[in-house]
Amino acid sequence: MSELSYVGKSFRRKDGPDKVTGKAMYAQDVKLANTLIGRILRSPHPHARIVRIDTARARALPGVKAVITVEDTKGIKHGFVETPRYPPDQEVLARGKVVHVGEEIAAVAAVDQLTAQRALELIEIEYQPLPAVFEPEEAMQPGAPEIHRSHPKYEGPHANIGGNTETAWGDVEKGFAESDYVREDRFECQLRTHGYLEPQATLAHWENDKLNVWTSSMGSFVKRAKLAKTLDLPYSSVRIHKTYVGGTFGGKIDLYSHEYCAARLSMITGRPVQVVASREEIFSAYRHAQPLILEIKTGVKKDGTLVAQRIRAINNAGAYRGSGVVVIFLAWGFTMIPYRIPNLKYEGLSVYTNHTVRAPQRGHGAPKVRLAIESQLDMIAEALGIDPIAIRLRNARGPGERLPNGDDTHNCGLSDCIRLAAERSGFLDKFGRDRKSPPSGTIRRGIGIGVSAYMGGTLIYPNGSGVIVKMNDDGSAVVLTGAIDIGQGSETVISQIVAEELSIGMDDVRIISSDTDTTPQDIGAWISGMTYVTGNAARQAASNARDKLLQVAAEKMGVTVDQLVLKDKIVCHRLDPERRMTYREVIAHSVATRRGDTVIGEGYWRTMRDEANHPSLATTKGRWTENYAFSTQVAEVEVDIETGEARLVKALTVHDCGFPINPALVKGQIDGQISMALGHAFMEEVITKDGYTLNPNWLDYRMPTIHNMAISEDVDVITEQYRVGQPYRSKEVGEGLVSGILAAIANAVYDATGVRLHSTPFTAEKILGGLKRLQYQAKTARQAKTEPVRA
Amino acid sequence: MILLDFGYERAATLQQAAAWLARLGDGAHVLAGGTDLLPSLRAELVSPGVLVGLSGIEPEPPRLTADGSIRIDALTRLSSLAHAGLVREKLPMLADSALAVGSNQIREMATLGGNLCQETRCLYLNQRHDYQFAAPCFKRGGDCCHPFPRNDRQTCWSVHMSDIAPALIALGAELEILGGAGMRRIGAAELYTGSGLQPLSLGRAELVRAVIVPPPPPRSGWGFHKSTVRGGLEFGMAVIAVSLQLAEDGASCCGARIAVGAVRERPLRLESAERALVGARLDDERLARVAPDAAKALNPLPHHGFTRRHLLDNVAVYLRRALAQAAERARTGRA
Repeated sequence: MSELSYVGKSFRRKDGPDKVTGKAMYAQDVKLANTLIGRILRSPHPHARIVRIDTARARALPGVKAVITVEDTKGIKHGFVETPRYPPDQEVLARGKVVHVGEEIAAVAAVDQLTAQRALELIEIEYQPLPAVFEPEEAMQPGAPEIHRSHPKYEGPHANIGGNTETAWGDVEKGFAESDYVREDRFECQLRTHGYLEPQATLAHWENDKLNVWTSSMGSFVKRAKLAKTLDLPYSSVRIHKTYVGGTFGGKIDLYSHEYCAARLSMITGRPVQVVASREEIFSAYRHAQPLILEIKTGVKKDGTLVAQRIRAINNAGAYRGSGVVVIFLAWGFTMIPYRIPNLKYEGLSVYTNHTVRAPQRGHGAPKVRLAIESQLDMIAEALGIDPIAIRLRNARGPGERLPNGDDTHNCGLSDCIRLAAERSGFLDKFGRDRKSPPSGTIRRGIGIGVSAYMGGTLIYPNGSGVIVKMNDDGSAVVLTGAIDIGQGSETVISQIVAEELSIGMDDVRIISSDTDTTPQDIGAWISGMTYVTGNAARQAASNARDKLLQVAAEKMGVTVDQLVLKDKIVCHRLDPERRMTYREVIAHSVATRRGDTVIGEGYWRTMRDEANHPSLATTKGRWTENYAFSTQVAEVEVDIETGEARLVKALTVHDCGFPINPALVKGQIDGQISMALGHAFMEEVITKDGYTLNPNWLDYRMPTIHNMAISEDVDVITEQYRVGQPYRSKEVGEGLVSGILAAIANAVYDATGVRLHSTPFTAEKILGGLKRLQYQAKTARQAKTEPVRA
Repeated sequence: MILLDFGYERAATLQQAAAWLARLGDGAHVLAGGTDLLPSLRAELVSPGVLVGLSGIEPEPPRLTADGSIRIDALTRLSSLAHAGLVREKLPMLADSALAVGSNQIREMATLGGNLCQETRCLYLNQRHDYQFAAPCFKRGGDCCHPFPRNDRQTCWSVHMSDIAPALIALGAELEILGGAGMRRIGAAELYTGSGLQPLSLGRAELVRAVIVPPPPPRSGWGFHKSTVRGGLEFGMAVIAVSLQLAEDGASCCGARIAVGAVRERPLRLESAERALVGARLDDERLARVAPDAAKALNPLPHHGFTRRHLLDNVAVYLRRALAQAAERARTGRA
């Protein structure tokens, strides 16, 4: 079968009608009788010893059903990373010491909100404040306040080192020595957060020795594993139910204290307990992304060929390990993937500070790393007199290249992406135009480019996805998948694949998803692998059911399987379409003749098949994935040179996502990432002082509105194909595209104004400051020319 | 979450509301549109014993009075104000300033009086303090100032961020205040005390009943600008409102009113800049000189992450542009 009917087409989202009519049930909408309200008591200190906790008065308050502190837990720790090198490091409630403002100390369950609030006020805690530290480079100094001991395997001189990554490829010092031009720069990023609209919310109900949980999440099986572990329950005693999810962007993976507390409070009271975080709590006590400091030194030949690059990343990792040690590992990846650099050296340090714990955020470090590398690449190109397109084409990786980690770039489409991006945007015609001949008025336009690459489906628990396709008597199908639709459209994509493989309609596919008791295990929606990993599992499951249908039909019709084709719930003879059986007839025949076989297909998938190695976070050894997506993005900005105000006017994304199963969903991912990048570039910042969050609301944490959104165009460079019955390769498209465009915006601001910014956000104040410095430099240069040289 | 442990009375008339306020004392608060009060309740910045609701009182539509002034009921919703034909036609600056507030949903609820009487703001003041900066600041009855730790003057350097107040001041509007002692009339600028602790000059049981705006004089023009980061759904980093009147020669300035909001505890009138313009020709050169001086005279408070330096730079540019636009409107007679 050559023509595709479902895959590769922009089908309407399965969850669309429920969401736009308000019928979709989110965790907060699930109601059970006699539900108690849970609330969390949080630390008012960034760093303090807990001398005494007295909950007696809170317990005595009428309407309070339970109060817990760490003494009411089993003391089992959890962590974003749980490996021998990085064992779990965080208790579910603080023990003996708090290390950030908002850290969870106690939890109450009461009959209503007001009582719960009163109960929190009645808990007495005596603190002994300790000196706190918030900047990573201060926290690293010997003698800085110790938040936690440095990692036992870290041998360097610094304090508060939660973990480090070191790796090299080639000989970087030799590379610098052989370079014609070397430059060093430093880049910094602000603290940003995910901005999911649905708050963190959990309902837990302990009933008949079973814990039922509805929680806003991005991976049901990760939640189950961590809840079961910290509660010391078998996995079979914990069931995470499906709910709709109102956005995550990386911020809802891992275990959160409130989820444990809801569960524990329900186990104590025997009643359902609901905890819903307020927006202020999410901003001031929950997890944000990771601000990185990047020091980058690069050496090139005169023609722009990259010879050597050394990068040092310092992560302000917050008060527990969180994903801090992962981002410094991944930052290496975002360094080494897109360009061919023979000599590389990388060091990453994850530094404890008295900030809230960190989580991945869409791109998990890539936007910051690519901003640094791509900004510096433009500076190098300018110094060498090469244009930004030529220097990128010169260094871009091609197909079938071996990466330092042993992975293969396969059908890498990067060069095509760069060429197409330059062509479609008219890059070289526009580049430098307003700097060479400034137009009248105060608006300057600039264009910039950025390149990025991202890996999909890298191995981390639970590593693989299973899918079951059950045929119904009438030929329609029910798909059981652990995949969680967080808004990216996984249920739509899986339905398209199953419809294609089985040749049934989209409406014939019903999805039962993300319920840990009824659906197979799934990797979750957080490592950019669902369309590839779960999608291939779904393809295999549907294919498995199709093979059974074909065998039964072939037997009954007295032909061989290869003489048959499937079309619209009918099996027919390839040459004589009148010889046919409906699926209904085939399934009835299967039940009748195969001891009741109702036709169930099974499928499963894992990145890199059975490759044993997980990559080491510390040394980067070990393979990551067989899927790398490459992209090139172009930004056009306008800057008012009197006020410094800048805006993104137009974005172009040219990307190689393999094969787009649903082009409209791909487009949605691109537009969403453009919007996130422009928030990063111009607006968003979690402002903190002494560990307190100064803007814990949507008003003062400024995410872009629809009116800020720029024109977003995109082009697919399709490097893979989908064939029914064959494994397919789709690549990442959900988080890698925040990066190139962020770098492109930085480069475009430079192109418009001549101002090179080394830190985000690019506020009007910073741009104006840069313009003033340029004016001053021009003035002093003029004066130097006209004044005689002093003896 | 708002802790719903207060009483609620729904007033049928403004007089009844004023009477309740007088009787109930400091524990009572007025609830009109609620877009400013509800977040303050949530932040526990106010903890009223009783809320006196005004939603049962139907506002009168804006009307022309005998002397040509326009009278606008304080309970007018901002969306009605922004779209009222009379206001759009006669007072386009006022309509634009109303349109600059919040978002459509907010403007559908918020009232004119509520916008003028809104709480002052700083990044510390307007949020819950249960574990964030547990120590209360001066305005919350405590003994410190979080944004300005060296502020030992028992005062509050929060800013008043109304978008509409500067426009009203620039238009020379007056306010009708209803209280126990009957009605009084004050200039729009007199509503504000300049103290962050007690920003309003209203007595305990007083309410703003109406806004009266005189008709713009002949050969006059206006300029309005709200500086923001994302262009909507936010308070201004600075709000600039300008009215200029040209003399009969059509070139020199015979009247100027300039107000800037969101940079101090009250909207400020820039009288020295007004004096520098009156009698002068409104050419680009003069505007380019007056605007930066005026900005400096503002002495803005750094607020919401904006530095004093940047506020000065921003106001200097946008004040010049607003003045130029007002002069252009005055010259051409186009709104």
